[in-house]
Amino acid sequence: MRSVMLAFLGGVLLTQGTVAGAQELAGDVEAGRKKAGMCRTCHGIDGVGRIPIAPHIGGESAAYLSRQLAAFRDGTRTHEMMSVVAKGLDDQAIADLAAWYSAQQASASLPSDKNEDMAPAACVSCHGADGLATIDDAPNLAGENAIYIDTQLKAFRSGKRKHEIMSEIAAGLSDAEIRDVADWYAGTKLEVVPVK
Amino acid sequence: MKHLISSTAMLMVTTTLAYAQTPAVPDNLEKLSNFQSTGTTEFTVIEQKGEFADGVKKNLERIKLPEGFKIELYAIVPDARHMAVGPQGIVTFVGTRKDKVWAVTDRNKDRVADEVKDFAPSLQFSIPNGPCFSKDGFLYIAEQNRVLLFPAAEFFYESPDVAAFNLVKKGELIPPEHESFNHTARVCKIGPDGKIYISLGQPFNVAPAESLDTFKEHGIGGIIRMNTDGTGREVYTYGIRNSVGHDFHPVTGELWFTDNQVDGMGDDIPPGEINRQTEAGQNFGHPWYGGGSIRTTEYEGQEVPVEVVMPAVEMDAHAADLGMTFYTGNMFPARYKNAIFSAQHGSWNRTTPIGARVMVTFIDEEGKATSEVFAEGWIDENGEYLGRPVDVAQLRDGSLLVSDDLAGALYRISYEGN
Repeated sequence: MRSVMLAFLGGVLLTQGTVAGAQELAGDVEAGRKKAGMCRTCHGIDGVGRIPIAPHIGGESAAYLSRQLAAFRDGTRTHEMMSVVAKGLDDQAIADLAAWYSAQQASASLPSDKNEDMAPAACVSCHGADGLATIDDAPNLAGENAIYIDTQLKAFRSGKRKHEIMSEIAAGLSDAEIRDVADWYAGTKLEVVPVK
Repeated sequence: MKHLISSTAMLMVTTTLAYAQTPAVPDNLEKLSNFQSTGTTEFTVIEQKGEFADGVKKNLERIKLPEGFKIELYAIVPDARHMAVGPQGIVTFVGTRKDKVWAVTDRNKDRVADEVKDFAPSLQFSIPNGPCFSKDGFLYIAEQNRVLLFPAAEFFYESPDVAAFNLVKKGELIPPEHESFNHTARVCKIGPDGKIYISLGQPFNVAPAESLDTFKEHGIGGIIRMNTDGTGREVYTYGIRNSVGHDFHPVTGELWFTDNQVDGMGDDIPPGEINRQTEAGQNFGHPWYGGGSIRTTEYEGQEVPVEVVMPAVEMDAHAADLGMTFYTGNMFPARYKNAIFSAQHGSWNRTTPIGARVMVTFIDEEGKATSEVFAEGWIDENGEYLGRPVDVAQLRDGSLLVSDDLAGALYRISYEGN
């Protein structure tokens, strides 16, 4: 935060790299752990969200995390808090943070009264039936607060947040369908085993 | 509802509702069956004993309070946010930023809750952060984009199919395109004028110029009020960034409220705020001011087009002042009478965390307000939060409840110095 303040006071913005820049850099897990001190109040040091608005990011793919942080930094994704935080991150910091959180081991399971066939069909190929993403470009949704998923799907639907696949999928969903999907993943269980 | 009426007393309540209080209820009543229902009729009951509760109790040993006061675990309540204590003292309703409202009951009156279960489990809630009660026992719940009304909730909450009505229909509190998640924790209170006051945070760090007209029209970045039949909605307060706590002075009836100020300007600016509103329509400075008299970077050098009321008290920067209540009880020493108790949630990205405390604000005869720390100790020696206070509410015996959404608990602060 101090660096952000200095940048403002000096009237200069921090040099902002490109998305590709952050993704090409090799992240350092240990350096990421130290930098994650600024994330832990909301996301936990292990990436398990501590407040309902903060998604679980422990065990997320590094590519997804880098892309989101870069999107918050360049303004293509906005949030009251994350837009402020990401402004202060350079490409290396993004790579390190992504390395730290992706190094956590996430696993997911379905509640005993549910089975995979009941999972939302439009979502499972990328997000899994249990909410553990099957591709690097998709976030885990396991155990996520329903309101977080609901908010993101509505943001894709309204165009506030954009993604080549998600914008299209969300465009066809009603409020009730969005909430059903959100409730499905909120009902799955996420476990994160922190790295030592 | 018939199966609920198990005694003459209940029947009398129902009768009262049906006749005497009809004018206070909106005329567009919709029965519970018309709401989207989850089909759930089973309660989720929260375990109150065991290792988790013991851990929370242990953390409370670190909390420092003024001489004569003590703090104890009152209830385990997951994601506990704002509270509404029932006027009969039977149950306390607790909101969350998820999809549940909790009903907390102390049946044996030993000042520790015996039962915590979800309220109206068949209803689908979205960020039901803000419950509030009218004196005559109507429970209101302000959600992300709806306000529900539950007549005699304190008597009927034992059933999963409690009667629910719309005060503000879904999608009509704010235009749905302005829905967000973070600055969306609504709070409500009934004012001395009998109207309901509802805070509406604006969904940016600093509200952009192109949104200001729309926000002003709907009271986003403000506090609105309306009659309890849903009519007469108007914007009462302008120029707020994200207020998550308000109450009315017990003597003057004036509205006081906390406001969370702009992030990203440094560790020590801008200050947090406790504000005092003396008349309808006043403007408290957002987005031209980031907190106190500090101008925002985005609007720096621009002429402020409105008359701005400065805060009654400047609080520590980023400490996140949330819920507040005026103290009207008889348990605490006389100096606390009509003082404000307020909760600081704690900073989220300050270099050294600050907040996670209960503050008390004294108002002298000239209306001058000064704040001091009342309860602290939820930040440990490593700068890690052990708890994050959200709201403060008064029980009928004059003790205080404090909610904590990190630990997921309610604490009770009492005075035994007499």
